[in-house]
Amino acid sequence: MPLPPPIYTYLWVAPHLLLIPVAVVMFRNSLHREFPIFFSALIYEFLAFAVLFITRLNAPLWYTKVDFFISAGSTAFHFGILQELFEAPLLHNATLRRTSARMLKWVTGSLIVMALLFIGLQYYNSRGHRLFPPFATLEALGIAQCFVLVMVFLWHRFLGLRMSDFAFGIAAGVALTAAPELLVEAWKDLVGPSRAGDYLQMGAYHCTVLIWLYYALAHKSEAPQIRQRVGQCPGAGDD
Amino acid sequence: MILTIIVALFITLLVSLFLIWQAWERFASHGAIGKQTGELTPVDLEAFENLTDPEEEYFLRTNLSPAEFRRVQRGRIRAARLYVAALSQNAAILLVVGKNACSSSDSEIAAAGQELVQRANHLTNSCLLARLRMEAAFVLPAQLSLSGKIANQYMLVTYMAANLPRSAVA
Repeated sequence: MPLPPPIYTYLWVAPHLLLIPVAVVMFRNSLHREFPIFFSALIYEFLAFAVLFITRLNAPLWYTKVDFFISAGSTAFHFGILQELFEAPLLHNATLRRTSARMLKWVTGSLIVMALLFIGLQYYNSRGHRLFPPFATLEALGIAQCFVLVMVFLWHRFLGLRMSDFAFGIAAGVALTAAPELLVEAWKDLVGPSRAGDYLQMGAYHCTVLIWLYYALAHKSEAPQIRQRVGQCPGAGDD
Repeated sequence: MILTIIVALFITLLVSLFLIWQAWERFASHGAIGKQTGELTPVDLEAFENLTDPEEEYFLRTNLSPAEFRRVQRGRIRAARLYVAALSQNAAILLVVGKNACSSSDSEIAAAGQELVQRANHLTNSCLLARLRMEAAFVLPAQLSLSGKIANQYMLVTYMAANLPRSAVA
């Protein structure tokens, strides 16, 4: 399969290559310890892209199947990232973290079931489709993912805690990818393959990676600020 | 199929607007990126205790009509929520202070840091429970009361943090 036009190729290749600087900056700022799932997802996305690129050039017939499995892996990682963000404010509190993780799993499970039912009903009514075509299942997971993402923001709000800048960057990036992807997949399902949809999806992903890179570079360690804060407490340093 | 597109469009718009709102609120209230949560938020504990004082609540309950009491109580809960949010934010900061002290080579400081981590954790739990209680009390202001027990916990934790030697958290 020959490579598509240069802009298309750029939008497909560049964001995946930019994942490496994001991972490197994260590693240098020790953010990989704080967000291990997100860090693993970066590595996974890069390796998955390499596999897809090679498949496209050497075994085009396998491309769609490989793409499906890679998309499934990415969706699973997205849920992992959202769970990580959900638990981030309770990192030092094992009891609360366990409780909130259990709560999130139940809510996510319920959302997935509801989305699958909705998508299943849509396909059930249309002719020439199986009840759950594989990409429709990913679409249902995409719907659930968007709601979980909103919940992550609301959870921080409820706890009265401000999301750290990097966590906000991750969440914003995931939202910027997940929301257009949902729309494009639904659109493609209706009209068939769409180059404009691909551009939108890839452009959104490019912005996402740039956002991650920006927030990773802008991240500053908390330690110096805490030194300053405790210095301001009355009686600090009296001992 | 058309319904799927409409739902997808609706969700995309919803998530986009939500994200814009979050980003706008974030930058409007805290300035540009890099300006972190920084210092402990000052909390007027006396005012907070006053808001959650059962005697004060009893006085209002007996002197106001039920409708008036519900209105006033909801206003008090709204204010108390802000205090709890500040306490929660400060508890998270103090937790990091405790963690830093834990890694001190001085065993006494490390033990104090461990104690601080435990207390700050306990305070976080209490803040979360207080928040849940407040949400319930907001719906049923005449039936449920607020609890101001976290003020004492907060005072203890800040006192412990303030008495850590500067070198312990540096």
